[in-house]
Amino acid sequence: MTETFYEVLRRQGITRRSFLKFCSLTATSLGLGSTAVPRIAHALETRPRTPVLWLHGLECTCCSESFIRSAHPLTKDVVLSMLSLDYDDTLMAAAGHQAEAILEEVRAKYKGNYIVAVEGNPPLNEDGMFCIQSGRPFVEKLRETAADCKAIISWGSCASWGCVQAARPNPTRATPVHKVIHDKPIIKVPGCPPIAEVMTGVVTYMLTFDRIPELDRQGRPKMFYGQRIHDKCYRRPHFDAGQFVEQWDDENARRGYCLYKVGCKGPTTYNACSTVRWNEGVSFPIQSGHGCIGCSEDGFWDKGAFYDRLTDIQQFGVEKNADEVGLAAAGAVGAAVAAHAAASALSRLRSRPGTDQPKGED
Amino acid sequence: MTDHSMANATGVDDDAVAHAPSIKSIYVYEAPVRVWHWVNALAITVLCLTGYFIGSPLPSVPGEASDSFLMGYIRFAHFSAGYVLAIGLVGRAYWALVGNHHARELFTLPLLSLAYWREVWAMLRWYSFTRPYPNRYVGHNPLARFAMVVVFLLTALFMVASGFALYGEGAQEGHWAHLLFSSWLIPLMGQSQDVHTWHHLGMWVIVCFVILHVYAAIREDIMGRQSVVSTMISGYRMFKK
Amino acid sequence: MAAYETQGFSLDDSGRRVVVDPVTRIEGHMRVEVNLDENNVIRNAVSTGTMWRGLEVILKGRDPRDAWAFTERICGVCTGTHALTSVRAVEDALGIEIPENANSIRNIMQLTLQVHDHLVHFYHLHALDWVDVVSALSADPKATSQLAQSISSWPNSSPGYFRDVQSRLKKFVESGQLGPFMNGYWGNPAYKLPPEANLMAVTHYLEALDFQKEIVKIHTIFGGKNPHPNWLVGGMPCAINLDGVGAVGAINMERLNMVAGIIDRSIEFIDQVYLPDLKAIASFYKDWTHGGGLAGLSVMSYGDIPDRANDHSAANLMLPRGAIIDGDLTRVHEVDLRDPEQIQEFVTHSWYRYADERKGLHPWDGVTEPNFELGPKTRGERTRIESLDEEGKYSWIKSPRWRGHAMEVGPLARYVIGYVQGKPEFKEPVDRLLSDLGLPLEAIFSTLGRTAARGLEASWAAHKMRYFFDKMIGNIKAGDTATANVGKWSPDKWPAEAKGVGFSEAPRGALGHWIRIRDGRIENYQAVVPTTWNGSPRDHKGQIGAFEAALMNTPMAVADQPLEILRTLHSFDPCLACSTH
Ligand code: HEM
Ligand code: HEM
Ligand code: NFV
Ligand code: SF4
Ligand code: SF4
Ligand code: F3S
Ligand SMILES: [Mg+2]
Repeated sequence: MTETFYEVLRRQGITRRSFLKFCSLTATSLGLGSTAVPRIAHALETRPRTPVLWLHGLECTCCSESFIRSAHPLTKDVVLSMLSLDYDDTLMAAAGHQAEAILEEVRAKYKGNYIVAVEGNPPLNEDGMFCIQSGRPFVEKLRETAADCKAIISWGSCASWGCVQAARPNPTRATPVHKVIHDKPIIKVPGCPPIAEVMTGVVTYMLTFDRIPELDRQGRPKMFYGQRIHDKCYRRPHFDAGQFVEQWDDENARRGYCLYKVGCKGPTTYNACSTVRWNEGVSFPIQSGHGCIGCSEDGFWDKGAFYDRLTDIQQFGVEKNADEVGLAAAGAVGAAVAAHAAASALSRLRSRPGTDQPKGED
Repeated sequence: MTDHSMANATGVDDDAVAHAPSIKSIYVYEAPVRVWHWVNALAITVLCLTGYFIGSPLPSVPGEASDSFLMGYIRFAHFSAGYVLAIGLVGRAYWALVGNHHARELFTLPLLSLAYWREVWAMLRWYSFTRPYPNRYVGHNPLARFAMVVVFLLTALFMVASGFALYGEGAQEGHWAHLLFSSWLIPLMGQSQDVHTWHHLGMWVIVCFVILHVYAAIREDIMGRQSVVSTMISGYRMFKK
Repeated sequence: MAAYETQGFSLDDSGRRVVVDPVTRIEGHMRVEVNLDENNVIRNAVSTGTMWRGLEVILKGRDPRDAWAFTERICGVCTGTHALTSVRAVEDALGIEIPENANSIRNIMQLTLQVHDHLVHFYHLHALDWVDVVSALSADPKATSQLAQSISSWPNSSPGYFRDVQSRLKKFVESGQLGPFMNGYWGNPAYKLPPEANLMAVTHYLEALDFQKEIVKIHTIFGGKNPHPNWLVGGMPCAINLDGVGAVGAINMERLNMVAGIIDRSIEFIDQVYLPDLKAIASFYKDWTHGGGLAGLSVMSYGDIPDRANDHSAANLMLPRGAIIDGDLTRVHEVDLRDPEQIQEFVTHSWYRYADERKGLHPWDGVTEPNFELGPKTRGERTRIESLDEEGKYSWIKSPRWRGHAMEVGPLARYVIGYVQGKPEFKEPVDRLLSDLGLPLEAIFSTLGRTAARGLEASWAAHKMRYFFDKMIGNIKAGDTATANVGKWSPDKWPAEAKGVGFSEAPRGALGHWIRIRDGRIENYQAVVPTTWNGSPRDHKGQIGAFEAALMNTPMAVADQPLEILRTLHSFDPCLACSTH
């Protein structure tokens, strides 16, 4: 018999009554009517665990590390009872061809019903051989595994955007998943890494409601990526007041002022850090005194130095911020105007009265 | 021009008399255009100043956070001026439809007209001192018109779009600015930080335009053959000769 | 390849070739190929790093103050250690001194990583090499409880507790959906634990999974998150404010109490669960003595955990420093990371290009230019490799050498060096463990020795966290709350040219970052990483690296089931993302 979500809850000492309450709370929090409650309950009580094939491309495994930090639900409950983690190079017992056989098996047995979770991304340069698995380019494994899946989860900024290995000059042509797979729903869960509970939250949402969460235009679940760090930052009153950390460890830093001037990218970063926070809500980058570096944003590595408020313009070979470029331009225009004015004055002085009068319209 | 000291001393101005018949004036800029121009100029001044301090805030304010709202006010002023700019542009566009034909010059360029380009060339020669005098224009001179459409209008539109895209981020999903601008412009430009950077750079484009524009206006007033600054005040273009 | 001798090993590729790709339960992507003789004994081993991202290329031209964030992303498993090494390299280049509190906080964070990484490695990456999950189903919970109580006072040890876990496991197995345990080598004769020990270990696998997430909260407090906490050139970004206005948003009493609590619980878990389990499991594998490799020959550590801030001399480092070569356990050589003759990287068998590949390069002059080409004896195609040609290039890992020697690095190396140096902190626990198990000193030069050293080190690190916590409190008490030195924050204050080196002892061994700065930008950045040492392919002289050496002469119970290969490789805790970067 397959253990279900409901049984997990039961085993954890949760009564049927509170289970149903959980279902109705879930229904309300998702804006579903009370009619949805029995459906949710039924789904949780009966569904066998969905197979998840967790692939790793070019990456640092911090997404896996983050995943196992989940506190609610606990990772062990996710892995033992909510889904079936049939393939994950980092955790699986099997290796070599015994491991690879699982991919084939799941593909055949659960055609259209398994989820592919991708951590990292495929490099395309060198025929893909910057990431070799079973003697072949990872991108092939990704394509084959994705071919029969229900949906893809792109874990982290690597799978979602490219992340650090795709930073200029991207020597391996590391490429995010959605630029390689075009025919499957892709849920991006960016962050370097994403927050553990955001990861398990997305997965359990999909398993519980058997659907993909509402995504924004870039493919991120709105429930976790709909707002910026800055929108919910507890240092925001200091931002509005105009109170900033001017330098590391200054009096303002000790008072917890806003980190905007030391480069905080909270105003431009969509993530749940300032609300969900990290590691069971203990803290998040800003709370611990360092600005947000924008780790869930596309290309955050290539926006200039992390400690600059004004980031660099990288186009046309310049690497200067807008004020440097603008001031230089305005300075040049100003100088040109001054020179032109001087020349005009001079020409006016030289031209004797009358001589500059036009003879008529030409 | 002849002896001015004579005119000052005696009240007799032969020169003025000699030219009197040749000073013609034409009503060019209707009131809405003039009002818009100065409101717009004010809004942009406020936007540049506040925008600059949004990018590089003033030194920290001492005391309780709840006692001050400096950054908040700066941003509020920016957004208010942003609305003024945007609504002004919409109003100006409306006037282009209903106003006189000079009201349309800001929104169109006769790119296919050879005559137009000949006049642009003439202005360029005038500015590069290779032509002793400019031609007379009732509306904008062709070069100025080019700058107004290509530099000012496009940049202003970009600033409104990118400004409201940023504004929509704070206002969040559901707000019209988010729907109309943030939702597509931010992904299109990369990410929010890129929009900030380009919006910021747009400010400098406008600053450059204003420097040239104000200089040219004053210079034309002095050296050209028609009134310029006063035209944007009274609406009448006066031709000196 | 004709059979040949190197470093005391006879390599012979004439037997049956067995390929394991992917090697799992490691970080990143790795392949190993071995040749087995007619008795299924490994006579040739070829280990390959199968990924490369190019961090060293990407770092060029960037702001040195940002480098920690890039290099931290070399690895999310040993998260933080690259960042620490990077800020040290920049500080070294620019002559920046950090405050005492920053030193204590950095040490606590580095030790937190050691504890966490070792614990997760033991239970979640390594245990299944020794523990048969399926066998746990037939354990008697009562006997399991007795076993657990006989080796530790850890409270979660009642028969009911083990029964619950067992029935959950049963349900799981009966579901037919085995998840990560699918296709494991269950029932392989190399598994030696009785069912009760298996059940205890599986139970602790789950318990450790729950607990590991607590340890890292120390990173979260000081660095804002884990994985990938934040660091700062010149100190740490977390300001200390104990009793002033705004203390709630800084390191305050509540935060410190939380850190103290986690330290206490970590010590408890390591000493009452990890170490007893380690000993119990080891006692069943005493006669599996394989996997020594280079451990008894050439080991090295740079040292780490500076007691006082800004002093990186061996005397001030709490983890030992030095090198042992040619199996001469009477002499510890000094290691100098700045000496161009000592540490050099070769690429003869690596997928990189040097102008002259017979020469090694010191990292300050290091070059990273990819060059993927396969040797003529490769079987298969370029993008469909069946077996590699180890006479050609065959790995994305470079081959670092110390004075020409391939070296093993890691917890065992540190313990061997500390032991030889006669440091009681390292010698006594080793002697105690060996005598408890009834084993001679040579036994530590093995797969199990590596695994045991890691456990001992986890305990050492947990206790040292307490030391630095107390030290920091003392320092704050004395009135010093500084966490950052911003004197040289601005690039205007930097020389036009500078070079520096930062080092640390990462969980997997000696880690160094070399940086050259020119006009405020990174001119060259080179990392030589623990798994680069251990996983290195052959060099120009045909010398094998630590992985390859350790696999040599190991008999396999079932040729098709790479259990023994996994055991030995896992004993190094390979990190491939690290090794190639
Ligand atoms: C933020 C600053 C300013 C901006 C963005 C700006 C923009 C413009 C624009 C778009 C027009 C075209 C009007 C239309 O066709 O509707 C215009 C015309 C004009 N502006 Fe400005 N302006 C600015 C400041 C000024 C100032 C300070 C002066 C006076 C010194 C000035 C003098 C004029 C004049 C005289 C015209 C009419 C030009 C003509 O005679 O054809 N502007 N300006
Ligand atoms: C000539 C027109 C404008 C100029 C020169 C201007 C200038 C600026 C500048 C320099 C910044 C700072 C950007 C940065 O460094 O991050 C800024 C930010 C901003 N602007 Fe504008 N802006 C203009 C129009 C607008 C308009 C029409 C809006 C619409 C409401 C707008 C809304 C904003 C918003 C929302 C921000 C970001 C504020 C924040 O991050 O706190 N701007 N603007
Ligand atoms: N090898 C390695 Fe690391 C470690 N420990 C780093 O320096 O794991 Ni990713
Ligand atoms: S997104 Fe960041 S944290 Fe996750 S694998 Fe990539 S580099 Fe590591
Ligand atoms: S610290 Fe960062 S996110 Fe928070 S208010 Fe300041 S700028 Fe915004
Ligand atoms: S750096 Fe990343 S972790 Fe959150 S606060 Fe910023 S998105
Ligand atoms: Mg390197």
